[in-house]
Amino acid sequence: MEIVTKKHRLIQATRSMNTHVKGKWWKLAGVVLFLYVLIGGMTVPLSPGISSVTPSTAVNGDTVKLNAIGYNTHFLSSTGLGGWLKLDSSHILEATTIKPTSETEAEFTFVLPVSFPDTSRIQPLTLIVDNATDGGFVQPNALFVSFTDIARSGPPWQSEIGKQLHEADALRFPYRNILNETVRNTFFHIALWFAMFLLLLAGLFHAVKYLKTGFPEHDNKSAAYHKVAILFGVLGIVTGSVWAKFTWNTFWTTDVKLNMTAVAMLIYLAYLVLRNAVSDTDKRAKTSAAYSIFAFVALIPLVFVIPRLTDSLHPGNGGNPALGGEDLDNTLRLFFYPSILALTLMGNWMANLLIRYERVKEKIWYHS
Amino acid sequence: MLLTAQICVVHISWAQGTDFLRSTGKIYSVVAVIAIVFIGIAWFLYRLDHKLTKLENQIKHEQ
Repeated sequence: MEIVTKKHRLIQATRSMNTHVKGKWWKLAGVVLFLYVLIGGMTVPLSPGISSVTPSTAVNGDTVKLNAIGYNTHFLSSTGLGGWLKLDSSHILEATTIKPTSETEAEFTFVLPVSFPDTSRIQPLTLIVDNATDGGFVQPNALFVSFTDIARSGPPWQSEIGKQLHEADALRFPYRNILNETVRNTFFHIALWFAMFLLLLAGLFHAVKYLKTGFPEHDNKSAAYHKVAILFGVLGIVTGSVWAKFTWNTFWTTDVKLNMTAVAMLIYLAYLVLRNAVSDTDKRAKTSAAYSIFAFVALIPLVFVIPRLTDSLHPGNGGNPALGGEDLDNTLRLFFYPSILALTLMGNWMANLLIRYERVKEKIWYHS
Repeated sequence: MLLTAQICVVHISWAQGTDFLRSTGKIYSVVAVIAIVFIGIAWFLYRLDHKLTKLENQIKHEQ
């Protein structure tokens, strides 16, 4: 008897679980994906890199002692520490001595050659550092060399590094100077904008549907998606502003993408004002649906076209076709795309709550 | 009081550019960004809660 009731309870529990999960899996998926992004995006370490090199200038034929400060490096504990200065693929110079003073600090001594292929202007040299633990990494424009007429002697250039650089195979985010750890904001700030765009698309879809059918449910859905998308947009601007403070050293710059996005957001904020201003439901639905189409049409050139035509601080703008290279490498993609999906699913959930709230409100009004 | 002092410390170090938020490769600015996203979503929940309370009160009054 007891076993039967136990079994019965189990069946009931499974049934109720089924009704809870059925059709709602995407909500859980959104949360789980976001957790994955949060944990993975914060725990995967940055690649080693060089944050600064002093001195930054020298004259040909000089003996320079470059003091390099590394980030996430293992200068002391690792074996096979090597350093090179590179002018181009066939002009390379090996360090004569390397003195690591700590895990993140080392002194590289170079004797610069006298003859350079081009002495008409100052030449930038790239510092290449390599060790067994960190692998090889570079600091472009580490040393600027100018030229003197005084006769001097120096070593010849090498045509290649002369050994295979180590390769670190651990999962690591790219080290970008200035950005440092904030490269992780890709998963939160940039993904937020992508999610906003997808939610706006959903809002636009329902606005068009409403204008086609006149069914009030589509107006309800369109408004909900727009509201959540606008919230994401505002959060995108605020998070971007915080990111800018720590990388560009100001909360707001006159960067074209910033200003154009601000204009786009104002256009969308006017959508909310418009909805609140019209009290007649039918009129409100029609005008806001039409307005949202115009707003979306304005958004495309403001956010996607104009910033690409001029110079911008944002990667993937100012003539570049898209995000890529070190700005969005494969390890970042591992968390960036799931983050877009997670935020879109969570935004969809939020919009869903708004839609259901409006439905219930409508019903209560209808009955009273 | 303690918080005000903390804020003052943050402000002074901001001016010097050697603050807590910039330490350890600026990792705490990422934390700030995540906190802002969380605050935004919490604000959304608060608004929805507020709206639902209004609706509940309306139902109560009608009964």
